[in-house]
Amino acid sequence: MNKKTKKLVIVGGGTAGWLTAGIIAAEHSINSADGESAGFQLTLVESPDIATIGVGEGTWPSMRTTLRKMGISETDFFRECSASFKQGTQFSGWTTGENDSYTHPFTIPHGYAETNLAPHWQPLRDQVKFADAVCPQSPLFEGTLAPKQITTPEFAFQVNYGYHLDAGKFAEFLRNHCVNKLGVNHIKANVLAVKSDECGDIASITTDSSGDISGELFIDCSGSRALLIGEHFKVPFCSKSQFLFNNTALAAQVPYSSPEDPIQSCTLSTAQTAGWIWDIGLPSRRGVGHVYSSAHNTEDNATAELIRYIEASAGKNVAQQATVRKITFEPGHRAEFWHKNCVAIGMSAGFIEPLEASALVLVELSAMMIADQLPANRSVMALVAKRFNKKFLYRWDRIIDFLKLHYILTKRQDDYWRDNCEKSSIPETLIDLVSMWRHQSPWHRDTGHIDELFPSASFQYVLYGMGFETLSSNTRRRSDIDAGNVAAALFQENAKRATQLKGSLPTNRELINKIYTYGFQKI
Amino acid sequence: MSNYVILNSSAHANTKVITDRGAEYGDNIKYALTFAFEFRNIQSCYPIFFSKDSETGQFHPIALFGLANNENLFLDDRGWDATYIPMMIERHPFLIGYQGAADPDGDPSPVVSIDMDNPRVSKLKGETLFTDGGKPTAYLEQAVTRLEAIHRGHEHNKDFVTALLDNDLLEPFTMEIKLNDGSDNQLLGFYTINEDKLSQLSGEALSALNTDGHLQPIYMALASYARVRTLIDKKNAQQT
Repeated sequence: MNKKTKKLVIVGGGTAGWLTAGIIAAEHSINSADGESAGFQLTLVESPDIATIGVGEGTWPSMRTTLRKMGISETDFFRECSASFKQGTQFSGWTTGENDSYTHPFTIPHGYAETNLAPHWQPLRDQVKFADAVCPQSPLFEGTLAPKQITTPEFAFQVNYGYHLDAGKFAEFLRNHCVNKLGVNHIKANVLAVKSDECGDIASITTDSSGDISGELFIDCSGSRALLIGEHFKVPFCSKSQFLFNNTALAAQVPYSSPEDPIQSCTLSTAQTAGWIWDIGLPSRRGVGHVYSSAHNTEDNATAELIRYIEASAGKNVAQQATVRKITFEPGHRAEFWHKNCVAIGMSAGFIEPLEASALVLVELSAMMIADQLPANRSVMALVAKRFNKKFLYRWDRIIDFLKLHYILTKRQDDYWRDNCEKSSIPETLIDLVSMWRHQSPWHRDTGHIDELFPSASFQYVLYGMGFETLSSNTRRRSDIDAGNVAAALFQENAKRATQLKGSLPTNRELINKIYTYGFQKI
Repeated sequence: MSNYVILNSSAHANTKVITDRGAEYGDNIKYALTFAFEFRNIQSCYPIFFSKDSETGQFHPIALFGLANNENLFLDDRGWDATYIPMMIERHPFLIGYQGAADPDGDPSPVVSIDMDNPRVSKLKGETLFTDGGKPTAYLEQAVTRLEAIHRGHEHNKDFVTALLDNDLLEPFTMEIKLNDGSDNQLLGFYTINEDKLSQLSGEALSALNTDGHLQPIYMALASYARVRTLIDKKNAQQT
């Protein structure tokens, strides 16, 4: 049981696999020259036959740190992954379906470390949108402005950002970096069988062209097939379809009419009769898709809604030529992610609609925790596994709570939206939070963990974006008078900052063209 | 705004260029781009730092003249009080461009333009550009030689800056300057050579810098920091 962890094997080479490989390899030197005792081996086995799912994807701002730690140049990343800047999400039609919209920007409200502006915004709610009042970022979306300038060093910003990227290109880019710079061993082979040892651990995987590959820890990044965690270990899958109904996606690529067309600053999410349409602007094209509940909508009708959406922005010809690809999924996750000497990361661990782009951030966090707590030997592995499972089950629950929050404040009348508001479809934890928020706005106290996925600010943006009302308190706090003055000053500073940014930032298209020509400086 | 036209002996037979120095001629600027090959002269008068071009984000060396925007502490009633004036200041109102040669193997030919809206351009006073016979005057010949040097200087700057960045030798810095009147001034947005990193470079790296002609300007730039004192003294003197 005290076998040292010396060989780590990742099965699957999509974004999840290569991102995991890169994060672990950036933390631990591989095949270290110091001798066998110091280094360990990291091997990624990728099927030459299975194509990765290359849809346009959104990341969180955490991806900037992830790339930087891996030693990636942001300029190379932009040039090779069709990347653009993502500064948040704009939700249209979610509240009433009648030209309503709100934003969830990545930058937290001004002065958020100390002052909660939400109660001070309440009296102004009819005059200014919450996100516009507290944060300078959303006003940049309309002008498709970038979050920085060409003089801003790589990974630094004026306003916080993540990325939109081409997942297929990203996986390839990461593979080159992992293999050429980080020493990851890359094997192209199909996995035929799994061999167990006497304790039921995976001893090795048998491949068609590279024989048996042994290891002490196996990471399952094989996607929805879940080769190790599912097919081999049969770890049960926990469906979450009672909370989140969406289980089908129709994805299409939409070309720009000219290479100089504007690139959106955020993901556009537009509510439909039984789901929503994502719209992600890459420099080369848009990625548009309709994710919906098959219990509430037919494929024909969902396709028609998608085509109508494309037509409205790109014209009839483009809409009629669009090739629509259908993806079905069961929303939910594994009952445990780390089982014996196998960890599932990516779609093998679980999948849920991409409403808040939680897929890649879960990969980053999972890989970071493995890199950070890499068990030295098999006996400590069981303890790390226990922690890992506890942490990620908690995270999945929080993601489900947060995604569901987007659905339960709606005034839309379609069956799908009414069903979403049924109490039986809402997690109890979320019901409690919303009851609490009736009387006090979300604040730092609501987040139990220091590395909580969604800060309380995210809850504020969605709640107040959708017109939620936190009732004013029936007591007056002694600190209120001072706080009122501070808040007024913060609102003013924010408005000034928004004006200043609007006047000085280039458009996404301008900045991305400059990145192609000149690149970002490292300092 | 600028209004550059191609220089030509008949159209500009009567055009003169004023070579006096003063704010009225646009000399009241805080800094100007400079070139590694003139660092020896620059460092005897001005501090050399690096700044980013706002359009491209690319670094280039600059000579610093003032501590505030539109401030050139070397300007006084009599002109520009320094033993050397940077080429990028001297070049005005001219600009050089290169036109592709008809013969693909031939060198592109230089084309000199003049900014007719530059306050230095005059009909009344200043240096004439062409002789009565339509030949360039000594003044113009010198100006063209300078423009050619500037053109080569831009190319060389690119190599120089790339070498600095490749060796991780640039770092941002902020300088707090306290003047005699008690006011605090901050010098922001410039970059300097990181002396710690320089002192840790391997013999191999130093040798490569030396071979490429970059080592001398690096030390010239380091020596130039002493000129910050000159700026502070001038600023203090202005305020008394």
